[in-house]
Amino acid sequence: MKNLLAFIIRNSSWLVAVGLIVISFYLVFSYNSYQRSVYLTSANKVVGRFYEVSSKATAFIHLNKSNRLLLERNAQLEAELNLLRTYLSDTQRDTLTTKAFLSDSIPASRFSFIPAEVINVSFSGPNNFITVNKGSAHGVKPDMGVVSQNGVVGVVLKASPTFSVIIPIINPKFRLSAKLKNSNNTGSISWDGKDLITAQIGELPKHEVFQSGDTVLTSFSRIFPKDIVIGYVTGQALSKDDNFKTLDVRIATDFYSVRDILIIKDRHYDEQKQLENSIP
Amino acid sequence: MKAITIFREILLFVMLVLLQVLLLNRIAVFGLAVPILYIYFLIKLPYGRNRFYVIVSGFLLGIVIDIFLNTPGMNAAATTIVAALRNMMLSLFYPKNEYEDLVPGIHTSTAAFVKFTVMMVLLHQTLLFFIEAFTLFNFTSTLLRIGSSSVLTIVLILAMDSLSISREKSG
Repeated sequence: MKNLLAFIIRNSSWLVAVGLIVISFYLVFSYNSYQRSVYLTSANKVVGRFYEVSSKATAFIHLNKSNRLLLERNAQLEAELNLLRTYLSDTQRDTLTTKAFLSDSIPASRFSFIPAEVINVSFSGPNNFITVNKGSAHGVKPDMGVVSQNGVVGVVLKASPTFSVIIPIINPKFRLSAKLKNSNNTGSISWDGKDLITAQIGELPKHEVFQSGDTVLTSFSRIFPKDIVIGYVTGQALSKDDNFKTLDVRIATDFYSVRDILIIKDRHYDEQKQLENSIP
Repeated sequence: MKAITIFREILLFVMLVLLQVLLLNRIAVFGLAVPILYIYFLIKLPYGRNRFYVIVSGFLLGIVIDIFLNTPGMNAAATTIVAALRNMMLSLFYPKNEYEDLVPGIHTSTAAFVKFTVMMVLLHQTLLFFIEAFTLFNFTSTLLRIGSSSVLTIVLILAMDSLSISREKSG
């Protein structure tokens, strides 16, 4: 017993080291996307505030670019509005079709959007995350989809009252079902970790035809509405096995400059999930 | 340990964390090389600092970086291992020193300091990238990352150290 005590005292610093290393590796391996403690991520209050302040300072640098993008988007929407207005006035002119088109109560839209601002991005390694300044107090919940003005950004991973962390396309844990615009075969979007502008769409059937520049859209998922742009095909990639085809996709969202994003709120999400989970 | 030394170390700790999370982690030269400078804190601890202190401060440094970068455990694990082996590596390059409060620096012993830095950085980066890449990605790309990031980090550390006014000389 005495020897044991002496041993422990003599080697106490090594024992501390081993203990701390074990704690660290425990954190590494228990690092499961959906069960992590909010205290150890940038969704916690202190770190979130810190990044918010630093993001306010750097926002000035990007002001020009965001302004230009907003103007472009504005012009695009203006054009669309014009088109719809003409269309509406055309249909209303014809009294026969008016009744068919205008029902007496307009069904409420299934999706609504929560605008938020990016306050931190980390993408120097394979484990990339985005922190935004809206949280559960604003109605953000885990598993909600996130889009920018150009296309899909990612999925909400964790929400604290004022901040939330998003897992973007450019994270190897990210998966999303997708399809080419002119086809009905669905594949799965993933990221191979090589660069921030290219993702891969895999699990497409071998006979799938494509041209570079084809648009890649979301297909059915509980998280995103149908037909949201993910990116554009740039060419064929190396496939992991011979049964499927894999394509390189240039991601529509520019992760280097993304600032303003929309979080998608699906009114029927809980209902659909509950129903699907109730089946044994 | 004098209060002024402790104060200087805390200041260095905070500065390195801020530098790492606000600036350096957003740099990826050619999409590969990320400067990981915070290990400089462990290099600059005095010769005679006891192992317990080195290990605990290494763990704290790693876990703070982890919290900011959303990588629970990765930096903490790598930095704690490096901290545990630090005194051993130091004694490889520096003979037993009676000035316990002396800090390793490029002005006092260039060759030994360079070797010590290279070894610390290489070990740290190797551990870090392998812990990070545990399940994913091909081996060559990991090696390329380790190599390029180490070179960048070593150059940065040596540059930073030669810029700092040689406090060691007067000590």
